[in-house]
Amino acid sequence: MSLFRGSLTYARFFVDPALSEPTTGNFADRFLEKLAAHPFEPLDPEGEAAERIGWCRVGEPFETSFIYEDLFFNEFMNIGFRLDRWVVPPSLLKAKTREAETAYLAKKGRERLTKKEKAELKDMVSKKLRKQLAPTTRIVDLSWSLNDGVVRFFTHSTSVGAAMSELFRTTFGVTLIPEAPYTTAARLGLTADEETAWVDLEPTILVTEETAPRERGAR
Amino acid sequence: MQLADKIEKRRFIGREFLLWLWFESEIFEETLTTKKHGDFGFWIEKEIVLSAGKEATRIKGTTPAHAREAKEALRLGKMPERATFRLVLGERESGFFLKAEALALGALTLPAVLDDGSAPTLGELGAELSAPKKKKKGAEDEAEREADGKAEAFFDRMDLTQEVEGILQELYRDFLALRLGASWEKIVVPALRDWLAGDELDADRYRVSRDKAVAARASR
Repeated sequence: MSLFRGSLTYARFFVDPALSEPTTGNFADRFLEKLAAHPFEPLDPEGEAAERIGWCRVGEPFETSFIYEDLFFNEFMNIGFRLDRWVVPPSLLKAKTREAETAYLAKKGRERLTKKEKAELKDMVSKKLRKQLAPTTRIVDLSWSLNDGVVRFFTHSTSVGAAMSELFRTTFGVTLIPEAPYTTAARLGLTADEETAWVDLEPTILVTEETAPRERGAR
Repeated sequence: MQLADKIEKRRFIGREFLLWLWFESEIFEETLTTKKHGDFGFWIEKEIVLSAGKEATRIKGTTPAHAREAKEALRLGKMPERATFRLVLGERESGFFLKAEALALGALTLPAVLDDGSAPTLGELGAELSAPKKKKKGAEDEAEREADGKAEAFFDRMDLTQEVEGILQELYRDFLALRLGASWEKIVVPALRDWLAGDELDADRYRVSRDKAVAARASR
């Protein structure tokens, strides 16, 4: 499911027009510069980061240089969001850590490990295993409709959406507002009375004590 | 009330919106109307999920909302969590599911885009056959045509996506006009209860009353 083919599954985010960067002048150059400052950079097995996020081109996860033609489709700006994460199978990590602990104890001629030693060995094993594994990669297309201030992000995952929102804020200085019954209502425009009514809303009760027995009796 | 509470503590409104769509599509014989779009076909197909807390009822079928279990789940206090809809506007037909609490669309299938730029027209084929081959130029043209086709397909997809979103937005606007006013308790809730109980419901009378309430909000 992507921007260019197949069915579409996406979450919408709204860009507050007051906070949105004006799309005038050389806005495209500015956007390109901002994206270039936050490209996706691969995870380092020796590094401390367990996951990494960044921008890439739509449909080209390894392409992190941005050119106007690939990015802008009239009023839409299309980019790829990439999230890589080390996922070491817990059972493998446990087995390999135990192996390392046994070898370490034998070498030191001791029977027990300190907490610190245990943590260090686990970290060392984890990093060693990372070299033998590829990180899991997730790429999600994003389309920012600049004219109406709507970002369509092609997944329903709230955690991935939150990670993207954070990167979006860091990159463009814009806070995204996730679509929800209230945010959509506010976008459509609520009067002061309706705002008050919203605060006072209670779930509608369909089955009352009067109707429930009638239903049971009818069966 | 903080913004976060207005969002998180009122997500049930999305479920009530789905319920209202289901109710109106059923009593108006699968034809809904908005001021902006006129009449269009709109009904639940394939799947509806109703839930309350951790208990969920998932009903699949051609017309799952007509299944006895669907209204039974409502009577047990479950509300629609997600439903798959079919939308027919003029010649264009789309399908999608709507997640109530996020108002998020999924599996949106759009009407076929006739020209995705990949297939040459008859005229282009003729010109290609009669023209002398220039390998490099041909490759450049091909790349350019591919890029144009990609852009064109994207614009078509976005136009159609925005059309579906636009219809849902107008339906939500009408729903809010009712839900946030006195007409919800006066007009809609009694009608919903009759519908749920299987009692006779005067759809025309309901339509007149709800249209009046929606129009009154629009004129404000």
